[in-house]
Amino acid sequence: MDNSVGTVRANGKHSKTDGRMVYLSTKSPSVPNLNEAYHGRFGRRISPERPQSQLSPLSIAEDPTNASLIDLYGDDDDDDDENENENESQSAEVVQNSHKSPEIESTPAFSRSVSTGIQGSSEYLSRDHATKDLSQYDRYGFKKQNAHITQEQYHEWWEEYSRYCIRRKRKWQDLLAKSGLAISNNDVPDRFPPRSEKLKRYVRKGIPAEWRGQAWWQFARGQEKLNKNKGVYDKLLAGINARSDKVSGRDLEVIERDLHRTFPENIHFQKQPNNNEEPLMIQSLRRVLLAFSDYNPKIGYCQSMNFLAGLLLLFLDEERTFWMLVIITSRYLPGVHNINLEGVNIDQGVLMLCVKEYLPDFWQRIVTKDQSRNNEFLYRLPPVTLCTAGWFMSCFVGVVPIETTLRIWDCLFYEESHVLFKTSLFILKICDQEVTAARRMARNKNLSKDDSDIEMFQAIQTVPKKLVDPQIIFERVIFKRRNSLNDLSQDEIDRCRRYVSAQRLKFKNYADIMGDRSTANENTKRDISMGSDFVENALSSEVYGFRRSLTAAHWNNSIKERVRQIRRK
Amino acid sequence: MLQFKLVLLGDSSVGKSSIVHRFVKDSFDEFRESTIGAAFLSQTLKLEKHEDVTIKFEIWDTAGQERYKSLAPMYYRNANAALVVYDVTQPGSLVKAQSWVDELKHKVGDQDLVICLVGNKLDLCEDNDTVRQVDMGDAQIYAQEQKLLFHEVSAKTGAGVAQIFQEIGEKVYERKATESAASTAHQSRKPLNVELQRPSTNDSTSCCV
Repeated sequence: MDNSVGTVRANGKHSKTDGRMVYLSTKSPSVPNLNEAYHGRFGRRISPERPQSQLSPLSIAEDPTNASLIDLYGDDDDDDDENENENESQSAEVVQNSHKSPEIESTPAFSRSVSTGIQGSSEYLSRDHATKDLSQYDRYGFKKQNAHITQEQYHEWWEEYSRYCIRRKRKWQDLLAKSGLAISNNDVPDRFPPRSEKLKRYVRKGIPAEWRGQAWWQFARGQEKLNKNKGVYDKLLAGINARSDKVSGRDLEVIERDLHRTFPENIHFQKQPNNNEEPLMIQSLRRVLLAFSDYNPKIGYCQSMNFLAGLLLLFLDEERTFWMLVIITSRYLPGVHNINLEGVNIDQGVLMLCVKEYLPDFWQRIVTKDQSRNNEFLYRLPPVTLCTAGWFMSCFVGVVPIETTLRIWDCLFYEESHVLFKTSLFILKICDQEVTAARRMARNKNLSKDDSDIEMFQAIQTVPKKLVDPQIIFERVIFKRRNSLNDLSQDEIDRCRRYVSAQRLKFKNYADIMGDRSTANENTKRDISMGSDFVENALSSEVYGFRRSLTAAHWNNSIKERVRQIRRK
Repeated sequence: MLQFKLVLLGDSSVGKSSIVHRFVKDSFDEFRESTIGAAFLSQTLKLEKHEDVTIKFEIWDTAGQERYKSLAPMYYRNANAALVVYDVTQPGSLVKAQSWVDELKHKVGDQDLVICLVGNKLDLCEDNDTVRQVDMGDAQIYAQEQKLLFHEVSAKTGAGVAQIFQEIGEKVYERKATESAASTAHQSRKPLNVELQRPSTNDSTSCCV
């Protein structure tokens, strides 16, 4: 087998491999050295969905999960249907501010004492994974088939999508070349062009899989964060090792329980039956989560962070994963993982406001008239938020299929959190459509409230899991030109967050004033209504001030509705 | 068909999702992803003691970590039944379960809610009883004192799982039947006015702080 198949990018380094490390090419989607493939080494055509038999370790390069990726970029099919305006002025996109896209060190300041032991892992992985039928796994090590997606559906999608990826990667290569950014030998650009409309469009169309780690890191300004905190991660680890017994006892326990419940279906997180060693990915995950709980006691460890860190680890080394986790939990999803989870509740309140504005029909379905009357739903969130809260906490990991998740993450790191809201709205919309269609089919319009709730909750659980093709979301939401959701900018979301946060605080204060009286069961009914009046007064006195800023930014339903009516006439 | 809302509560990793999956899909995964937020499932069940009575369970499976407790009132609002789960090999998880029982009794009132205490992972003690850390007798005494249903089960082998839901179904049904014998008990679709009978959760507590 060719020794140069694998490079060790999982460790943030781009070192050439020796014979033992070859198998890393299967370790991580970021790992395969597609450069070799691109220059023709594996130029022969291998159908992505070529059936594969059990693979010996030495034929891993021919594993379809790899082969497809290798083939992916060796494809000559140059289909220019993306309609990129290649004549766009390139000058603006050439790196002007080197401080904006800092040179990323080829070797991160990463303590040797806590090395992920990549060398060891290669052998380890090769030995164990040889016993698995690798054709079942996708290029990230996830199972292709699951309860919601059949093997056939997967392949049908992948055949088309893999070609799309090839075209996109070529576009990216052109873009980088025109920006004067070299792609180093191992095929991963050191940096990407500075922000521009064009780059945004490219990101929205998907970052090449093996460049993702580097691209996310740059777009989220990870290096900036790391430069300000040199050595912090190592110190945290040293601290944990020094007083392992004391480390936030409660978090430690929950983290331990979650380690093996993080991507148990992913090959990189699996322990083999005949090998009792803990997978290296799990060890890294433990260190990142422990270090984080020490670093930010306000958050500590929150279930769902295991999935965030787990997915990051497939694309970035440990230290960068750690800082990305810091960035996600502070910049993109502020307060969402805090001990009181208030950030989640705020974001769900924002989402509900968005639903009310953008999906009025669906809104009718999820709230009663009473709840809709004032802003009470911001405080007493509708049950649908029990499902949607998890979407935000895990940034869609496990909610939608992996490729779709990654495409959302591409945009998240470039465009920030409004992407999550838009995606959520879209998913709710198609759930609504599905339920409506099913009901029409069944000709059953006399469903009880309970029945229709069950239908809807079931749709919300299963519909997103079937979105194997990211293009469905991206073509119909993110790119659609005449899309009302386009108004939903990051500014809008941030403003809305502040508004909801203040409203919830008001509610809380009034609820506190109501105090214990309302906890007595016999008085419940009376107190609820009292509480509602109380709260309504409190809110309506506040709504005005907030509404002004919101109105300016398209929050005013009545005006929009009036315009619609005029148009209809 | 009757519809009952059931909520699962308990410490993380005691096997809440596994119990639900055993009941709904009759399957078991050794490694199941941790539940984030909540999962919703539904399953119908024919009551053994009352022929012609079919129940549809609307099941909310929740994340177990302590901090998710602030979201819990949303789950148990209007619930007819709660499964409070602990792990027979983890004494700490019984303490957690007891605090859930207290919360439910305080916030919902047990006259409105059927609570079932469930000790899971029975299979682990079958070969080696030293693994067991929670004495069955102790848990049973506690359950009797608190007037809870009680079962030890194994989601892995399936032992006892169906019985829990059967028993809860019967208990909720009987409760409803006696409460509203005069109401529209035998009309199709709405044999009982479930909506009206659902316990009113104290709404001021259902806010998440």
